[in-house]
Amino acid sequence: MRPSTFQSIKLVLRKEITTGLRFRAAWAAMLMFSFTSLVCISFALAGTAAEPKLLAALLWVLLFFSSLAGSDRVFSDEEADGTLMALRVYAPSQAVLFGKLLYEFFVLTVITVFLLPLFIVLLGAETKEMLLLLCTVGAGLWGISAAGTLLSALIVGAGVRSGLFSVLMLPVILPVFIPAIRLTEAAFGGTVVSLNFLGGILLYDMILSVGASILFDYIWYAE
Amino acid sequence: MKTIAFEEAEKSFSGRKILRNLSAVCLSGQITAAVGPNGSGKSTLLKLAGHFMLPDSGSVTVREEDAVLKGEALRMSIAYMSPELRLYPRLTARENLSFFLGLRGVPIDDRLYGDVLNRVGMLPETIERTRVGEFSTGMRQRLLFGLMLASNADIWLLDEPGANLDDEGRAMMLREMRRGAEENKLILLATNDSRERGAADEAIDLSEH
Repeated sequence: MRPSTFQSIKLVLRKEITTGLRFRAAWAAMLMFSFTSLVCISFALAGTAAEPKLLAALLWVLLFFSSLAGSDRVFSDEEADGTLMALRVYAPSQAVLFGKLLYEFFVLTVITVFLLPLFIVLLGAETKEMLLLLCTVGAGLWGISAAGTLLSALIVGAGVRSGLFSVLMLPVILPVFIPAIRLTEAAFGGTVVSLNFLGGILLYDMILSVGASILFDYIWYAE
Repeated sequence: MKTIAFEEAEKSFSGRKILRNLSAVCLSGQITAAVGPNGSGKSTLLKLAGHFMLPDSGSVTVREEDAVLKGEALRMSIAYMSPELRLYPRLTARENLSFFLGLRGVPIDDRLYGDVLNRVGMLPETIERTRVGEFSTGMRQRLLFGLMLASNADIWLLDEPGANLDDEGRAMMLREMRRGAEENKLILLATNDSRERGAADEAIDLSEH
């Protein structure tokens, strides 16, 4: 009997977590990148109190580049290991897309859980609105995950490499970053902003997810 | 009853025509061998049959009775083996089978796991904790074949299935292919091996295309 889409997504997610945890080099690369960047920024600021606007921008720069260290591998690792074809034969498109998207979200969440407390401590960021910060980070990470998963699939499908992922990622994710920086600035005690910004991010996340879901069928099935 | 019909299918790569005006039909219950020299398009023919790529012109249609199979419905009917298809190197044999068969709605238990490995000549207890990345090429090939056997697919697309197998492995594969055809599977293989060609009921000679 054919498994439900939900069951298939669970299988793909479990497989991603198992293989991901056994490939420690990838985790080490992402965590060390974010930690090293944070320490460099911390030394550069040398204890001076940074403006909320600067802190917000720095946080999202760190999250963006940490995600770049891993997002483009979502499908290229499968291709390098020769497993992409097996996945194409056996796995339905939506299970692959959402299984990998959820795994990417999981990875970014782990990086953020590691990075955010260190960021607050090392850079002396005073968080006035913790709930707003967490909601903004959650919504922003989903957008990065959705965009990263789709672009990674497109690039592998197109057989193109050499930095194209990073070049395409920025314009796609900009509608998330701009409001996310404004909201994070507000959470760090800067200017008050409308919660519509958060609504805007969530709406764009939804458009990215639905768009990825529609496009991915065309990438996965050559029809 | 499933069929794969190639109707004047053509495919080129980098301006070089690999398949020219190919028309052929493959039927359930038969082993069809695609034969021809290296570069004649055998692997391309299998990819076209599985809709992993599209023909430049002409058509490749997979049917179940009168219904045309496409997209997910087609993929669920297909098992494919090729030198470029690999299982996850960081997972064990059981984890790989559990993942891929789970996606086909075939839950794997101890009995099925043991049966599959026995059919392809592997001993479950000797590879219990071994990751597939540590397997020999022949063992990986056997495991891929085992996955195909357990997947309940009605269409088997096999690209050089005997490559990397020892004599016993090749004999097992020929035996299982015949058994599959008797169970009404549609089996299309690309081969240069005379024994595999001899075991086929029909042949598509690509040296003529």
